[in-house]
Amino acid sequence: MSDTLLMPSRAAARGLDAGAAERVAPPPGYWRLARGERHLLIERRALIVSLLLLGLLAAASLAYLCLGQQVLSPADAWAALQGEGDPLSGFLVQELRFPRLLAAWLTGAALALAGCLMQTLARNRLATPGIIGIDNGATAFAVASIVGLGVSLAPPALALVGAATAAAITFGVASGGDTRGYRFIVAGIGVGAVFGAVTQLLLARVDIDTANQAYPWTVGTLNARPGDAVAVLAVGLALGWPLAMALARSLSLMRFSDAVARGLGVGLRRRRAQTLGLSVLLTALAVAVAGPVGMVGLIGPEIARSLSSSRGVPLTASALAGALVMVLADLAGRLLLAPIELPVGIVTAVVGGPWLLWILMRPANRRVS
Amino acid sequence: MNAPQRLQAEALSLSHGRTAIIEDLAVELPPGRVTAIVGPNGCGKSTLLAGLARLHAPDSGAVLLDGQDIQRLPARELARRLALLPQEATAPEGLTVGDLIRFGRQPHQGWLRQWSGDDQRAVEEAVAAAGLEALADRPLEALSGGQRQRAWIAMTIAQQTPLLLLDEPTSALDMGHQLEVFELVKRLAADGRTLALVLHDLASACRYADHLVAMRDGRIVAQGAPAEVVTEALVHELYGVRCTLVPDPATGTPILTDLRRA
Repeated sequence: MSDTLLMPSRAAARGLDAGAAERVAPPPGYWRLARGERHLLIERRALIVSLLLLGLLAAASLAYLCLGQQVLSPADAWAALQGEGDPLSGFLVQELRFPRLLAAWLTGAALALAGCLMQTLARNRLATPGIIGIDNGATAFAVASIVGLGVSLAPPALALVGAATAAAITFGVASGGDTRGYRFIVAGIGVGAVFGAVTQLLLARVDIDTANQAYPWTVGTLNARPGDAVAVLAVGLALGWPLAMALARSLSLMRFSDAVARGLGVGLRRRRAQTLGLSVLLTALAVAVAGPVGMVGLIGPEIARSLSSSRGVPLTASALAGALVMVLADLAGRLLLAPIELPVGIVTAVVGGPWLLWILMRPANRRVS
Repeated sequence: MNAPQRLQAEALSLSHGRTAIIEDLAVELPPGRVTAIVGPNGCGKSTLLAGLARLHAPDSGAVLLDGQDIQRLPARELARRLALLPQEATAPEGLTVGDLIRFGRQPHQGWLRQWSGDDQRAVEEAVAAAGLEALADRPLEALSGGQRQRAWIAMTIAQQTPLLLLDEPTSALDMGHQLEVFELVKRLAADGRTLALVLHDLASACRYADHLVAMRDGRIVAQGAPAEVVTEALVHELYGVRCTLVPDPATGTPILTDLRRA
């Protein structure tokens, strides 16, 4: 093996680049976009999967706007969304269904993206923010605000505080060792159990009316979405998604064993803290809107991974799949027992529970790593 | 290719938790050569390699790369100068050999430099150096142990670092596959790279290394060319085994025969 063959000098390679005559072939499965010294790789499958999920999400969203106790045709629903057509449909779509659809998109995307981040961090596909106690912390604080004060004083804000508190306690308990995901999960399960017990204790000691008022916060629902919280979540997701994408390259290396990731130049300690912080933030913002709908953090990334290649971490696909699951689950919750409405948290749990069992019991358990 | 770089440890102390593994150790890897670090189980050889690769922060002392403390180098810069193959390297499932090797280019890439001509050449050369042309599209799980090990080494070759540290690259491989890996290592050194290997097999170390570092209880007991430092007394000191050394008729490197427990 000659020296020049194995190791071309960097200067010589640059010279070739500068010549601009060089044709660089992308790796198999990618498109390469190049402009001068700048070049991007786009994984074909990731793009196709995202477009597919986006199409399904659009279809589900249209169904969401059309279906309900009052069924509208797609054309009527579209017209109503534009502010045309009869006033009743206009009210139905603009005031009721569309804001709720928006909340479903945002919470589903945030929870699934948070789940994907947490699972990559822990190298465990069952690790969701719900499992590490963040949901329970948010619920406990929201319920406490309703139960303790008699009036529902800003439960969403308190849910945020609760989520942050649970995350901080889990952080505190888990630190001291290295920042490995496993220790963090065990600590989180303990913290979650404590907050779950606190919620039960609070609910057991109040009258039935107050308990009813607190009920949505214990199951997760899009029925009582606070407007401010939705806006905050929208901003959080608008910032969180690009941040997650900026972490994508490090995240794909964090799936390797630690020594390999470090050997390839990942500053693990910092990247882990960033990933964790982003995951907690997205979860907290979503839980402040919809309460604990933790199963979406499990189902969304699972769908995304089963569709995607394992070359990278499917962040965008997870967010889209999460939004899709949330829209479908809430639609089912509105329709199944109409006029009674099933909270979306119950629908996702009913679907997610068996899903979880299926993952665990599937013989070819492909990607538990 | 950059000039060979000097990696040395000065007064290095490393510990696992509260247990001191290595205390006050000094070592230097001869540039452009293959160094084998040998010693009995638990002597600290893998810990030393981890320390040299900055996987392990020192309690005291320093590891210097061309005179710079590696603790102060940014992670990506270090990864462009020093590559490491740890003992238990695991990859996400479903990757092909080519995917894995391309990950070796990560330290050279960025958001707007995702796949350059350099990257393409480095990967092609790494594939060729490790003889993996026919296997590039195979999933890693479908490879034999020796092929998989070569794929991992190819990933570190694609990193194009002047320094390459391999932790027990041949353990769990049969004789033929071991030979494949050692021949690859020799070729890399012939091309001007500095390599360090942790090996538990003294015989292979004698045969394939230019420089031997023999460790026991976290200290270096001997270092130098294998033919010079490996003696019957050293083998006894390291492993508690009596033996007779004879020169290999083919290569002149020492062979251990007549092994018996002392």
